[in-house]
Amino acid sequence: MRICFYPGCSYASTAGYKESTEAVCQKLGIELVVIPDWNCCGATVMFGENKLRATALAARHFALTQAMGFEEIVTGCNACYATLGKAARLLNEDAELFIKTKDVLQALGLTLDRIPKIRHLFEILTKAMPDAPSERYRSLSVGAYYGCQLTRPHQFLDKGGYPEILETFLERIGFAVTDHSARTQCCGASHAVIYKDECRNLSARIIREISDKGAQIITTICPLCQFNLDQAQTGDLTPRIPVTYFTQLAGLALGLSATSLGMNKLLVSAEKVISRP
Amino acid sequence: MNKASKPNPFTSISDIATINACIQCGTCSGSCPLSDQMDHAPRELFALIREGEYDMALKSNTPWFCVSCYACMVRCPKEIPVTDLMYAFKEIITRKRTAPKNQKMPDMYRAFSRIIKAKGRITESYVMALYGVKHPLDALKNIPLAVKMILRKRLEPKALSVSDPESFARLFELTEKSEDKA
Ligand code: SF4
Ligand code: SF4
Repeated sequence: MRICFYPGCSYASTAGYKESTEAVCQKLGIELVVIPDWNCCGATVMFGENKLRATALAARHFALTQAMGFEEIVTGCNACYATLGKAARLLNEDAELFIKTKDVLQALGLTLDRIPKIRHLFEILTKAMPDAPSERYRSLSVGAYYGCQLTRPHQFLDKGGYPEILETFLERIGFAVTDHSARTQCCGASHAVIYKDECRNLSARIIREISDKGAQIITTICPLCQFNLDQAQTGDLTPRIPVTYFTQLAGLALGLSATSLGMNKLLVSAEKVISRP
Repeated sequence: MNKASKPNPFTSISDIATINACIQCGTCSGSCPLSDQMDHAPRELFALIREGEYDMALKSNTPWFCVSCYACMVRCPKEIPVTDLMYAFKEIITRKRTAPKNQKMPDMYRAFSRIIKAKGRITESYVMALYGVKHPLDALKNIPLAVKMILRKRLEPKALSVSDPESFARLFELTEKSEDKA
């Protein structure tokens, strides 16, 4: 299977999201065709600056995708997913905005006639992963963390309030899951970078809740969620619990080595937890 | 002067009329992860606008603390697009330059936007460096973390970029013009 992939700006500098995505996709026979010359989607910034600009930044990829002959764009970042999804929804609903956006892209030498479907990498891997490829991690209890944007507008993967797709996935591929109440609590997202003190408690509450409920490891679906939960574990504020990507757990289940999944890049090491689950 | 007779600066927002349906239940504010930092959390901000307190609304720090988590929007019983409204408020406040002076997020957004315009892609350390010119303390606080990232080979040594940044930047110019015309 070939998929049209939008990596997003933080993909390459994450704690192994790139390595694990590539390794797992290769193992499953999925070819990631990266949109050539992709740009930043505008994230949570551009819609607050200029709606047309925000839409055009996202839609530049819709035109590039069309030129590649794909009908769908797949991304692994929740913020990119929500931003591209929002632009796609607006363009489908608002004919005037569509024409203005098309004109901007035309001036850049690009053609936009149709809006692709925006999908999350998680959807693709959920379908492609085999049932429990290994029984090795059956007793490793994982706290699933969705973060905020994945199941909220403008895409509906699952119920916004109490999603279960990640737990279902983890159990199916051979892990134990720990129920907890922080699954969609916000980690502070990009505000955590400059409002460190104000946001530290948001991440700390999530980490303590998941750890108190008995999880040994946390898994996330988004570069920023992983980053915030991993880096917040300093001082006495929280216990230490490794924060991984779902692609890293999928890779472990498929028998891939932790290093090939980039797990040596985590701030809180997962080595102990995964060596004797 | 009678408040109600002041011009409403928010009329250009396409969804603004939806706030008339707000029942002031506070579900949005109660769901908001950063409501404790806001001077008028979403419910209150909508009340201010309905009461014609436009100056207070334009100076509110609330939109700048919105992290776009959409918790309010999925829970609002009247289906008011709270998050989308926060974006629209930011756009208007930026144009009118009424953001509170001590608010850091407008500077962060400006740095972010300037890097996109210049390079097409974001390299976090470059945004931080640009933002840090005005807020050196925040930049310094991130140094211990940056060291850990370097040790794990996670800091981009050079800026990410699209292949032809100059023609990419035209996207910004083109959207600027059509905004001014509007
Ligand atoms: S949740 Fe909706 S109805 Fe309730 S106060 Fe907020 S905007 Fe108004
Ligand atoms: S989207 Fe913004 S206003 Fe709404 S709950 Fe999240 S941070 Fe608060």
